[in-house]
Amino acid sequence: MHKIGLLTVLAGALLTTSAIVPAAGQEEVILRLLPYHTDAMVENYNPNNPTGPQQRMRDFAYEPLWIDNIWHPGENEEALAVSWEIGEDLKSITYKLREGVKWSDGEDFNADDVVFSFEYAKAHPDYPMGIDVYNGETGNVASAEKVDDYTVKFNLNEPDALARYGLNGLYPLPEHIWKDVDDPKNYAALDVVATGPWTEPRNFSRNGYDLCRNELSRYNDENAIDCLRFPQMNGNEQTVAALSAGDLDWLGDGLTDPDVTFLPQSEFNNYWLPAGSDVNLQLNTTKAPFNNLEFRKAMSIAIDRQTLLDISTFGLTTATRFPIGTGEMYNTWYDAAALEPYTHLMEYNPDEAIAILDAAGFVDADGDGWRDNPDGTPIAFGISMPSGWTDWVNTGQTVAENLQDIGVNASLKTMDQGAWFDAVPRGDFDVYVMWTNGGPTPYNQYSPMFNPRLMVEGQIDFQAMHQMQIPEIEAALDVFKGSADEAVQRAALTDIHKAVAENLPTISLFANPIWYEYSTRRFTGWVTEEDQKFRPQVHDGTRERVWHALALKPIEGAQF
Amino acid sequence: MIFLARRIAFYFAAFFLAITFNFLIPRLMPGDPSDRIIASFQGRLNEAQVAAIRQSYGLDGNLWEQYLTYIGSVFRLDFGISTVQFPEPTASLLFYGATWTLVLVGLAIFFAFIIGSFMGIHAAWNRGGFFDSFFTPINVMLNAFTPAIVALVLFYAFSLQLKWFPLGRAHDPNLMAGWDLNFIGSVLYHATLPVLSILLVSFGGWHLGMRNVMINLLNEDFVVLARAKGLSDNRIKYRYVARNAILPQITALALSVGFMLGGALVTEQVFNYPGLGKFTFTAIGSRDYSFIQGQLLLLTTAVLVANLLSDIANVILDPRLRGR
Repeated sequence: MHKIGLLTVLAGALLTTSAIVPAAGQEEVILRLLPYHTDAMVENYNPNNPTGPQQRMRDFAYEPLWIDNIWHPGENEEALAVSWEIGEDLKSITYKLREGVKWSDGEDFNADDVVFSFEYAKAHPDYPMGIDVYNGETGNVASAEKVDDYTVKFNLNEPDALARYGLNGLYPLPEHIWKDVDDPKNYAALDVVATGPWTEPRNFSRNGYDLCRNELSRYNDENAIDCLRFPQMNGNEQTVAALSAGDLDWLGDGLTDPDVTFLPQSEFNNYWLPAGSDVNLQLNTTKAPFNNLEFRKAMSIAIDRQTLLDISTFGLTTATRFPIGTGEMYNTWYDAAALEPYTHLMEYNPDEAIAILDAAGFVDADGDGWRDNPDGTPIAFGISMPSGWTDWVNTGQTVAENLQDIGVNASLKTMDQGAWFDAVPRGDFDVYVMWTNGGPTPYNQYSPMFNPRLMVEGQIDFQAMHQMQIPEIEAALDVFKGSADEAVQRAALTDIHKAVAENLPTISLFANPIWYEYSTRRFTGWVTEEDQKFRPQVHDGTRERVWHALALKPIEGAQF
Repeated sequence: MIFLARRIAFYFAAFFLAITFNFLIPRLMPGDPSDRIIASFQGRLNEAQVAAIRQSYGLDGNLWEQYLTYIGSVFRLDFGISTVQFPEPTASLLFYGATWTLVLVGLAIFFAFIIGSFMGIHAAWNRGGFFDSFFTPINVMLNAFTPAIVALVLFYAFSLQLKWFPLGRAHDPNLMAGWDLNFIGSVLYHATLPVLSILLVSFGGWHLGMRNVMINLLNEDFVVLARAKGLSDNRIKYRYVARNAILPQITALALSVGFMLGGALVTEQVFNYPGLGKFTFTAIGSRDYSFIQGQLLLLTTAVLVANLLSDIANVILDPRLRGR
């Protein structure tokens, strides 16, 4: 939205929220954070309600079984489970649960709660609990059984070494509360009973609320923060000003030109934008000219990716090395030597693109100045973007200009966000700029990308928009999933990478930033480029965020 | 009386037409309320879940069945459930947003009308004088400013730089709502800049309208007669000329008051003011049918009622309409 403009340094004083200081005793330590933009706060603490409550209640109040440490796999990942074991035949996973954990109302947490939560999720498909692995045709987890009070075994329909990545993200609910809730999607869960470090909502109003310390939490020795404060805010004008003025400590908003619009506003303002998921061009390969491999190759090398990085996306994105649909976020999974032969497809070379198109018969047949298909039909297509997504609109514009330079009649087509979403399942598009999924392994990206079931007209998935079925990739995905051996998984992944580079169903552009802004006014212990202890986002979906909050310590003399 | 009866019949027909459009317009947009929910899961749902969500967040039945349900709910004043803030009743959000919009836009219209009209009267009475030739062009110029620029400039200057006013919100979040001086003071303090940003771009219109009608009337015979009778300037100015000139202004005011419930999107966005414009904008982006319908219903009703009131006010102010 609007830039605030060139601001001189804002001095420290608090403005609006002249925080109420308790008259006597120790001042409460409050962390102000904004995981979700909203116009009004609604009193609802249901951890699986995706319209706001989930973004605030998960991780901080409700804990998952396991926290996949995406940047440092295998380190310090225990949450409500302390270990897991995959069965010999890959047809089961057994979790050992943490003993001695109490729900915030004093009841014991045990295997019954986990089994109940699994069954509950299965019984309420309209109440998605974040695990997508349990349902008949698509899912693979058949049942959950209690082995003893602190051991739960999940049985699978067929061998699957990756099912735990779905189950890890199960946020167990207390059986003694939720067993009486028949319609969970309409349930506001006002009495929060959870196991996390902060479980007590306080001072609710339309303007926000506090989530305060769980006295029974096992984190209390290390937890220096008494309350999390979730203010109501919507819009970048407000959030940037609020962080600068001390009304927010932790934020994850998309910013335009942060060195100008954000850093100068307060000496305490900081940001760091590590590489997140990649962004690709999705081409509708059911149509000409995108069904032609030579055309796709020419498109890939006609794009000036350096301009996309530096200008279109304001220098906030990260370059992608190989034309494989994923990027730096999964760089530990690359076989760089095997992929080296494909790097030329990522290099800007319009002359070569022109030569490829000429050789493949994409010439101007009707004399209108634009290239036509080899059969003489004209080429004209739009690159669709939701209006207002500034960096991506710029990206679409640059790509269109690059293509025009090699004689291809491409144009940017902006539309309302709702219309943009709506056209995808129906397959009603030419070219989209599209994000990729995150997840603990690259399997989470390639599986939806090449699953033929997600290419059926009417149900086309965002990742499968190219609609190109590549059997060798489907086979390699099965190998990946069917082995717990990392070497086998790596070999399968390299096969997938090579097949993507050979076929170019999508065209790789760059990696989106992970948005992360913070204020050093009151707290130390933030994740920084020098101290990359875990992913730093404040948003739901980053289970590591609870560690981040726990790592923050108040600065001596700071005002809360 | 016949005049009013005719108007009321007209309003009733207009109301029916309007609520039908309120129903159709959101549905003509591509997409439906469940789309955003599903998209927010970024592919982590299986088909059974997608189907279940579509059923529970979307709407059942064909268009005609939905329409009948809708008409029924309009008369029961049942606004349904919001999908942006699922499962909050739309009515409570509408009421919340409408309250603050009434404060914000209401204050702005009130001051704009009073200031603009008096300046217009004064400018017309002394037309060609210093006041007229200085303020009339200035006010017309202000009227041409876009609210976005004015709001951002005020926000930047007085909230960010000088820090005389808060960054946003309708009141200090630490205060409980109530009819005490502290709270009312906080509301007025927080409303100052947002109200000013609307006021600055709107009072010029009232000034110009009042001035133009006044100038025409000043040449009428009844003004000459009034002067000949030796009435005082103030009596002629306010009781004779202004009273006649105010009639079209009242009609225009009624329209503004009606449209008031459309909110002031830009101002609300810049100052994080919890008004209806902001809620409606989000609701449209997310295809929150029940909120859009509820807001349009509110707007329609307000415009019609305001028009009716202006008709009544005209009858009271203008004796010529009474006999008809």
